[in-house]
Amino acid sequence: MGPLEGLVYGFSIALLPTNLFACFVGVVVGTVVGVLPGIGPVGAMALLLPSTFAMHPATALIMLAGIYYGAMYGGSTTSILVNVPGEAGSVVTLLDGYQMTRKGRAGAALTISAVGSFVAGTVGVVGIMLAAGWLADVAIRFGPPEYFAITLGGILLLSRLSGGSILNAFVMVALGLALGTVGMDSISALRRFTFGSVQLAQGIELVPVIMGVYGVAEVLLLAEEGIAKTQIASVKLRELLPTPQEWRRSTMPIARGSVVGFLTGLVPGPAAVLSTFISYTLEKKMSKTPEKFGTGMIEGVAGPEAANNGATAGAMVPLLSLGIPFSPATAILLGALVVHGLEPGPLMISQRPEVFWGFVASMYIGNLMLLILNLPLVGVFVTVLRLPQHILATLVLLLCLVGAFSLSNSFLDLWVLVIFGVLGYALRKLRVDPSPMVVALVLGPMMEKTLRQALFLTRGSVVDLVARPLSATILLLAAAALLGPPLVRLLRRGRVAQPLPQ
Amino acid sequence: MLARAVPLALLVAAGAYLVLSLQLPFGAAARPGAGFYPVMVAVFAVVVALGATTSAFRSAPGAAVAAFELDAAARRRVVISVVALVAFCLALPWVGYPAAAFAFVTIVLRYLGARWTTALVAGVLSSAGSYGLFAVLLDVPLPRGPW
Repeated sequence: MGPLEGLVYGFSIALLPTNLFACFVGVVVGTVVGVLPGIGPVGAMALLLPSTFAMHPATALIMLAGIYYGAMYGGSTTSILVNVPGEAGSVVTLLDGYQMTRKGRAGAALTISAVGSFVAGTVGVVGIMLAAGWLADVAIRFGPPEYFAITLGGILLLSRLSGGSILNAFVMVALGLALGTVGMDSISALRRFTFGSVQLAQGIELVPVIMGVYGVAEVLLLAEEGIAKTQIASVKLRELLPTPQEWRRSTMPIARGSVVGFLTGLVPGPAAVLSTFISYTLEKKMSKTPEKFGTGMIEGVAGPEAANNGATAGAMVPLLSLGIPFSPATAILLGALVVHGLEPGPLMISQRPEVFWGFVASMYIGNLMLLILNLPLVGVFVTVLRLPQHILATLVLLLCLVGAFSLSNSFLDLWVLVIFGVLGYALRKLRVDPSPMVVALVLGPMMEKTLRQALFLTRGSVVDLVARPLSATILLLAAAALLGPPLVRLLRRGRVAQPLPQ
Repeated sequence: MLARAVPLALLVAAGAYLVLSLQLPFGAAARPGAGFYPVMVAVFAVVVALGATTSAFRSAPGAAVAAFELDAAARRRVVISVVALVAFCLALPWVGYPAAAFAFVTIVLRYLGARWTTALVAGVLSSAGSYGLFAVLLDVPLPRGPW
């Protein structure tokens, strides 16, 4: 099926009433959690995952992904109006977005960021259509050594990019990999690290871990503040229209942000956040008046807001064509597919076209819905911010508890939730990003299986394992990314230390 | 405190994990057994946890503390929330979901600063609402308790 045929077929799936409704629910929930500071898309996706078990896999994917990209729209609203990021992908937006609000241009900032998100979202879907199909064709030839190299390289790259110290990121990776070995060994069926527990033999479930780290931990941070009142700037519908000059100034930043975002999304790492920083820096460099950034420049809103939506689209490519998630959000999407017995990977596009193309088409529809939801209805979502925080925090905790239990009616999942909630809170306090742990927990079992299969194939030769052209390239790239920056720093330091010639 | 306690705890855990994984059948490179990969992960874990612990003990103790400086009230709110979460997990099999959820919401809300009436009303509504949604509509076998 070619891209055009596929898309037409996809629309016939995405426009089914159930899928339209799922898409609508997803983007509304996404916008709400995006608007609410403290509660992010990943926690919300984990919370709603159990409710998708009874759905068709395409419907489940459509709804959960809607939350993910919907949050990128909602997050900017809070950044612009309250000077608090609605979620991590909107941190950069507040630099100039809130300054625009202070100058009375909040409406223009909201419109530009929604339009930017829409453009990037749409460009991103085109990117998925082209890139995922191509990558899947290539990936069909991949064997265990290649998959091992991709997972290992991905984890290394992710540790480099996750921000903060690389040592801390490695500790998180080690923890995630170790947790991934708990339970029945997939090859010899031996029980490992289960201490006689029948429930632990199933392994540590990803979803309660994510609910803990991204749900409970965030609520504990909210609990520190107790009852807090938010000051919200109000926006009138009339003020939403940007001036022709503002439109003109935003065009190129949106275009650049879309591309930068999509490309960042392809690389393992916290793409949604990273892409906004890259786009902001880029716009500042391209600008004739870089010193004015931070005082309410529309370019500083347009670029990053496009970038984070482009990144959410880009992140879908490795998931859909290789079956490998490189972020907690895509790990949940993988979980949703696996529950239904689907194996995302190069064959999914041809074997289950209704899932892939239905999902791609739904992203077009979802982005259109979001444009409508976020422009004329922006006022409705802002009222969510007037909800008392402490009530919201308590209800989210209760939902996490009942949600974790309902996954497999297990008390163990409840304890996993609470333990990882407390750990996640401690990590936030230490400014350590937990996402390498979450990704390693998902990729670990994949890595072990492919490593052992690959060693069988090469009869135990590590050289044969890494010397295959593709594996070698991937591992070299990862090593360069890992060792490059410290090497450059070391070389520079060496040069500075040399005495200057007299 | 936390900045040193967390890496140290992880180092101990990594050590224990190494000991346990060495007891699994290791196999050989050409026929890796169930312990092959865990041992590699464990060695990696011990090395990086050792590195993190050393760097935490070397850096000035005051450096990382600023982030934890909470006033007594804020700290109490966090501690109460965690205690309530643990209590909920312990109590759920014995008192059932409706009672545990009601007590959880009421107590946490009250300690986060809500009035008693608000906390009680929210407790009743959220416990009944979530029980109705999950147990009745979605067929989740939530424990009902002895009553």
